[in-house]
Amino acid sequence: MPNAIITGTSRGLGRALAEKLLHEGWNVWGFSRSPSPIKHQHYCEHLIDITDEAAVQKALSIISQSSIHIDLLVNNAGAASMNAFLLTPAKTAEALMRLNYLGTFHCLQAVGKLMVRQRHGLVINITTVAVPLVLAGEAAYVASKAAVDSLTKVTAEEFKSHGITVIGLGFGPMDTDLIKAVNKEKINQINQRINRSDGTTLNQAVDFIFEHLNKKSVTTGDLYYLGKIT
Amino acid sequence: MITRSQILVLILNRLKSLGAELQMPALIEATEQTRLFGDKADLDSMGLVTLIADLEYDLQQNFGRTVSLVDEKAMSRLTSPFRRVDYLADYLVELLNAPKS
Repeated sequence: MPNAIITGTSRGLGRALAEKLLHEGWNVWGFSRSPSPIKHQHYCEHLIDITDEAAVQKALSIISQSSIHIDLLVNNAGAASMNAFLLTPAKTAEALMRLNYLGTFHCLQAVGKLMVRQRHGLVINITTVAVPLVLAGEAAYVASKAAVDSLTKVTAEEFKSHGITVIGLGFGPMDTDLIKAVNKEKINQINQRINRSDGTTLNQAVDFIFEHLNKKSVTTGDLYYLGKIT
Repeated sequence: MITRSQILVLILNRLKSLGAELQMPALIEATEQTRLFGDKADLDSMGLVTLIADLEYDLQQNFGRTVSLVDEKAMSRLTSPFRRVDYLADYLVELLNAPKS
């Protein structure tokens, strides 16, 4: 039975992915700040803030006590903020960098050590089309996700000889809390730019992740997007 | 109290396993003077990463202690604890026996 750790499983993509993996026979450990509605015998939740390095290390230490192999880490937890750069409070930029980048950093470091010991593992960092599209009005969010993309590429190089694959999977707007404050017109424009005029559903995003679960079909360090980036 | 000899056994055992895996006799026969990091080191950077990850696991399993070996304290020391086996053993004894803050 394969094992996965997913961050941000209380809602949105993280929850949908966890449910699909559980349905496909995986064991799933969820890292989440608030309780998830998921009820499954193979789902184990750690209520932690992933920006807290000590909390992440403690959770990993508990998981590794059961001597299981972690096959998959999905760094999904994240937040967004839409605002013109000149109107973006520095505190917002700091909060986004802490959650989107540093949270991913802590989880990747803690799980990476475990995967180095295993000499095996797949890491998927969830990213966004907003980075390659250079979306105006999302400077703080885009910068934090660009940092994640760089982390993906560098750690892929460092982990290559340890049998660990690191990739980024990027999506356009989905119907989740992440974009509830963004106006529909703006969403439509983004979807048209990535050639997905009907947008992206959570199920489509989950299917896209499943297509990339086989390490043989991906190249470590690469970023894959659901939609056309030109 | 966790003793230096307990720590040394963990480090040398891990180096022996790594030496067997990487087919490096110098690691299989590692001593306190074996260099881990730097120009004349017997380990490359990937080997050092593996050793650190393995040792953190051993400390957790053997002594129930969750520690991160690569923290600011380790990095700011005048002599890097990762330079040689004996320096690493000294650092770990100090780290594990320090009063909890």
